[in-house]
Amino acid sequence: MTALLSVRGIEKSFDRNRVLTGIDLDIAAGEVVALLGENGAGKSTFVNILSGALGRDAGRVVFAGAETVFSTTREAIDAGIIHIHQELSLIGSLSVMENLFIGDYRTGRSGIIDRKALAAASRPLLERVGAGHIDPRRTAGELSTAEQQLVEIAKALSRNARLLILDEPTASLTPHEAAALFAVVRELKSRGVAVIFISHRLEEVFQIADRVVVLRDGGVVSDRPVAATSREAIIADMTGRAFALGAMPPAIVPEGAPLRLAAEAIGDGAGIGPISFELRAGEILGVFGLVGAGRTELLEMLCGKRAIKSGAIRLASGAAPASPTAAWRSGLALLPEGRKTNGILPNLSVEENIVVARRQAGGGLVARGSERALADRLWRTLGIVAAGPGQPIRSLSGGNQQKALFARCLAADPSILLLDEPTHGVDVRTKGDIYRTVRDLAGEGLAVVFVSSELPEILALASTVMVLAHGRRTLYAPRAGLGENDVLSAAFVEAA
Amino acid sequence: MEGRSVVRFLRTRREATVLAMLVIVFLGLTFASEFFLTGRNLSNVARQISVVGIVALGQALVIIAGGIDLSVGSVIGLAAVTAAMVSAATGMPSLGIVGAIAIGMAVGFLNGVLVTRIRINPFITTLGTLSIARGAALLATNGNPQRFDNWAAWLGYGRIGEVPVQFLLLVALTLVVAFFATRTRWGRNVYAVGDNARAARLAGIDVARTRIMVFTLSGSLAGLGGLLLGGMLTNSNPNLGLGYELDVIAAVILGGVALSGGRGSIGGVVIGAALMGLLRNAFVLLNVSGYWQTITIGLVVILAVGADSLNRRREDD
Ligand SMILES: Nc1ncnc2c1ncn2[C@@H]1O[C@H](COP(=O)(O)OP(=O)(O)OP(=O)(O)O)[C@@H](O)[C@H]1O
Ligand SMILES: [Mg+2]
Repeated sequence: MTALLSVRGIEKSFDRNRVLTGIDLDIAAGEVVALLGENGAGKSTFVNILSGALGRDAGRVVFAGAETVFSTTREAIDAGIIHIHQELSLIGSLSVMENLFIGDYRTGRSGIIDRKALAAASRPLLERVGAGHIDPRRTAGELSTAEQQLVEIAKALSRNARLLILDEPTASLTPHEAAALFAVVRELKSRGVAVIFISHRLEEVFQIADRVVVLRDGGVVSDRPVAATSREAIIADMTGRAFALGAMPPAIVPEGAPLRLAAEAIGDGAGIGPISFELRAGEILGVFGLVGAGRTELLEMLCGKRAIKSGAIRLASGAAPASPTAAWRSGLALLPEGRKTNGILPNLSVEENIVVARRQAGGGLVARGSERALADRLWRTLGIVAAGPGQPIRSLSGGNQQKALFARCLAADPSILLLDEPTHGVDVRTKGDIYRTVRDLAGEGLAVVFVSSELPEILALASTVMVLAHGRRTLYAPRAGLGENDVLSAAFVEAA
Repeated sequence: MEGRSVVRFLRTRREATVLAMLVIVFLGLTFASEFFLTGRNLSNVARQISVVGIVALGQALVIIAGGIDLSVGSVIGLAAVTAAMVSAATGMPSLGIVGAIAIGMAVGFLNGVLVTRIRINPFITTLGTLSIARGAALLATNGNPQRFDNWAAWLGYGRIGEVPVQFLLLVALTLVVAFFATRTRWGRNVYAVGDNARAARLAGIDVARTRIMVFTLSGSLAGLGGLLLGGMLTNSNPNLGLGYELDVIAAVILGGVALSGGRGSIGGVVIGAALMGLLRNAFVLLNVSGYWQTITIGLVVILAVGADSLNRRREDD
């Protein structure tokens, strides 16, 4: 079988930082290759080169029998290489259907958009990726991160792909939506489309991939058929040493701990709520639900970003915050979903991104010395990979940006931590570090609310589990005594 | 610094490109004209730089925060007549100084409130106040120039030795604003807000207050600029500062501030203002028509910004 894509000796440096040191890879038509590696290993850089988003310093790419040098993504798309980027790139002010058919909008010669026909053409695409509930006429910017992710995938279907590159497509999806995505991938595979699939969720790799390629420090360290590898072997290849995620004892709700926050039948007047719960010092509340269940909206209400139209929130430290600014001031810290749009200050340094929230509580003068020391400590604890603390955060790998945002929360020394998909795009090893950090802080009395699409994460970390479906609370119980199925079936409860 | 990193610094920082241009023009003029290096001429150049530079400091903060302030030229005119009329009416020049800065501050604050509370786009808001402030200056004076030659005006026309007072003010304010921008919480928040306002808000920054603050600062500095310009001419014309916003914005952009917000340095802005002043002086000394001057300034801005964005593009998109 001749390869559809054949890559030899790809090299790439950013200034003096050698990111790719010579990558060789062959992919046949109809093959699904999982591309794995720790945060900063060079995965995104490599696929960006394949799809013409980045230039290369050295190496050859042969695609469909022809030597190619794509200098723009347009050329790559025309050749059939469709790349869904790690960071979302929908146009927020256009509607979902306009995004799906961006560029020509199916107008033909007239140039006039037929909204009805466009919507009709959009629905089957959305349904195929399990996003049938999204109205194609809605503005893309209003959708949650996970919904936008689904639209991106649907967008790829509207084009004629020969090689589909998915850079962490499932990072904000629950198993349900991920399964829909995998069905789509299998269908494309059966039509001879080759797929490069990047993920930090190893279980997915075994569900979908034919081959597993592991990158470390910019080079390929292993390339095996999926049947000839194992979870342990992959982790060892990624980290360069044998490594086991030490199982943590289940967290328990601390007995008689002081109340930190109480939500009394809160709702946003737009389909979310009423939701009630209590949060005590040391408690870790894990919030699960399908995409669109209202998890992010709940956190937004807690941090003052979204108006509460009914019910009330009481904080031990005072009144409910009326804005995110007030929330941080009263001891809440927020790690929002969607790191590119809601999280990072792209041109500021990693260090400033870490200390920015903490600084708001300080005096007028920036205390450079202590800020640097603090950033340095968190940087080391979380193992952020970058050229230095002065590097602009936009040039960090996705997972490392995420770690910096987590560090921002810790730096503020909060009493309540609100985390929306805290490990989005974070590699296996660092996930373990983050779990341990959260547990340790909870042991010292920090109260945590975290939203996650990963069921194992909910079960490993939470002391209390809450499940939302269609904006309602369908499960609220201590973690002990809950099984995977209890949580999943609560997530699938139909709308009343 | 080793050779390569010097090249890299020059390549990646627009401040450096503009500084290099500044040095070249300076050296060129030194050889081309025997008058250039005289104390009298340099002192004139310093004067030309001062008001543009001072007003550009505030404008830079507004642009870094992701906004723009078109009203500064009109505020200069309004503040100049305010200074003259208040000191004439009260007999107290000190009140004239206070009045000029206060009226600028008020217009700036109004800009900030309109932008943040009523959410009118900064371009539109300040286009509106540009018109209003100019109209107010004309209305208050009935279109007549006002005499302004008391000691408050000295800030504009005075010299200490050969050095114009307003130039000393520029130096002092540059140091203050640079410190503010790099070493205070509020200054850093300006960058954060311009870089990604949504993320800044979610990280606990009071975005509205930050925006109101930069507009207020910009207005105040424009008010001071009006006081100095009126003083320099010992005559406050209500049409003073007409079109100044373009020079000021050009200096800011030339100095390396990104119009899209979040990026730029105060030092660069002053270098940008100095380059524009030096170019103007070059035309006078070399006896070239003023029309060429206008064209050249436009070319320089496009060149500097164009070179920079060509450099940047490879990294960004
Ligand atoms: N524009 C850039 N300028 C400087 N360094 C960069 C740039 N883009 C990427 N890098 C560096 O290249 C390295 C590899 O980044 P890349 O995004 O390819 O990692 P990744 O394997 O995709 O990681 P993740 O799992 O976190 O997404 C990182 O150390 C990153 O800091
Ligand atoms: Mg990546």
